[in-house]
Amino acid sequence: MKRDALLRSPLPMLVVLALAWWLVVPALKIEARYLPPLGAVIADARSVWPDLLAGFWRTLLETVIGFFIGAALGIAAGIGFAQWRWLERGVFPIFVALQSVPVIAFGAIVVIWFGNTLASKVVIALYLAFFPIAVNTLRGLQEADPQRMALMRSFGASSRQMFLKLSLPTALPTIMIGLKIGLSLALAGAIVGEWFGDTVGLGVMLLQALYFEQVPRLWVLILTCGGLGTLLYGGAGLIERRFIWWRAE
Amino acid sequence: MDSSMATPSIAADHRPAHLQLINVWKRFGPPERQTVAVRNVDLAIQPGEFVTLIGPSGCGKSTLFNMIAGLIAPDDDGSILLSNKVQQDYGLLGKVAFMPQRDLLFPWRTVIDNATLPLEIEGVSRKAARARAEALFPEFGLEGFETHYPHQLSGGMRQRVALMRTFLFERDLVLLDEPFGALDALTRSMMQRWLLDVWAKHRRTVLFITHDIDEAIFLGDKVVVMTARPGTIKCAERINLPRPRAASVTTTGEFIDIKRRLLAVVEEESLKTFGGATLA
Repeated sequence: MKRDALLRSPLPMLVVLALAWWLVVPALKIEARYLPPLGAVIADARSVWPDLLAGFWRTLLETVIGFFIGAALGIAAGIGFAQWRWLERGVFPIFVALQSVPVIAFGAIVVIWFGNTLASKVVIALYLAFFPIAVNTLRGLQEADPQRMALMRSFGASSRQMFLKLSLPTALPTIMIGLKIGLSLALAGAIVGEWFGDTVGLGVMLLQALYFEQVPRLWVLILTCGGLGTLLYGGAGLIERRFIWWRAE
Repeated sequence: MDSSMATPSIAADHRPAHLQLINVWKRFGPPERQTVAVRNVDLAIQPGEFVTLIGPSGCGKSTLFNMIAGLIAPDDDGSILLSNKVQQDYGLLGKVAFMPQRDLLFPWRTVIDNATLPLEIEGVSRKAARARAEALFPEFGLEGFETHYPHQLSGGMRQRVALMRTFLFERDLVLLDEPFGALDALTRSMMQRWLLDVWAKHRRTVLFITHDIDEAIFLGDKVVVMTARPGTIKCAERINLPRPRAASVTTTGEFIDIKRRLLAVVEEESLKTFGGATLA
């Protein structure tokens, strides 16, 4: 039973990929510049292990803080838009316009405002996470079934009860989609934010590796970023399956 | 005995009506392009009476229902009286136990939490609400399913959960809009007999919409027939079949006589809808 579960997980595929990397690169004499041998990548990872761990934690921290603040603001904005039409009409288009400005364009300003601190990365992460969460919250809250609303009204429900017992639970699966998108974007935001200047973090290490053409280091960082993203996304998926498993009908 | 066919309402009963509709109209749209959904409806339902309402599809049954539930306001021509008191627009909200066609269970709530929803809204404590619901589970055939979720139940069971929710919203007037419409014939006839048992025990006043003539006769003390749109009351017939009614009552001569008469009226109205549709 346990072996079956293991076979059905992505683990065997990962092993196959690692083996292919390990065997194919020397066999085809691929230049290290394009794809270094797996052994070199592992050796490099071991040589920078403490820096890598510190960078991992730093970027994780920036992502998580940025994500949570962005999620809180995004959900609040989505609820506000759903509640008051005038707010949606007046403010929402501005958000859309702001969203279409690439985050890179804001980077310098954010660094001037917040300095080379954790805060500037958090701000970029939350800025990216905010928008999809706000949009999905708004859309989810608009999905409440009119017939269920009529039923609630016939029970004499107040607007507060209507929101807490019907609209919000209806919206949660859609909000969850926004949260997952927001989480990936927050990670991207934290990494890009580090490019504008810092000393610790996966983004900083990426930039350094790029400058010094440390190709195995780049691969170490790509894999580490991938691991971090998978960890965050997997955690969100776990929470979703446990608490928000229903779907709109 | 069947002279009641000719008159739009039955005035024989002199007790004060539980629910009374006097000249109720509902028009939609601006005056020049107006559609009349419901016109000149007079209807009286006595306390504890089980009244069934049939009519061709699109005849304004649901509009009428939504007005009685307080979800939409009737036009100013007439009024709706509950226990002899004229009701303000939307004043009926929270006074009538209303069950729409779809079960409308909340997928994120367990069976028992779905059933206690109206009690929760009324501010009954969770513990007291659950105690009241638990007492009803055997009667509703849902024992052992308290902590299941709606998607784990069959259509008939979901409908019983929805009915339990309606019953826990303890109002003397219960409005049921084709509650068994989506069920298969066997489940439906079992649910009908079960509903009569529950009704006999609790004696609420029931107004039950259906498009199934057999169902209307089998369940009702009185069958009310609506005309094609704009809907009004075409006729009403008192059903004097003895209670409790077994399934076999549907094959008695008396039942078939009533059915023949009502079928003629309903067919006539359905043809109007059909003819109107082909002309337009």
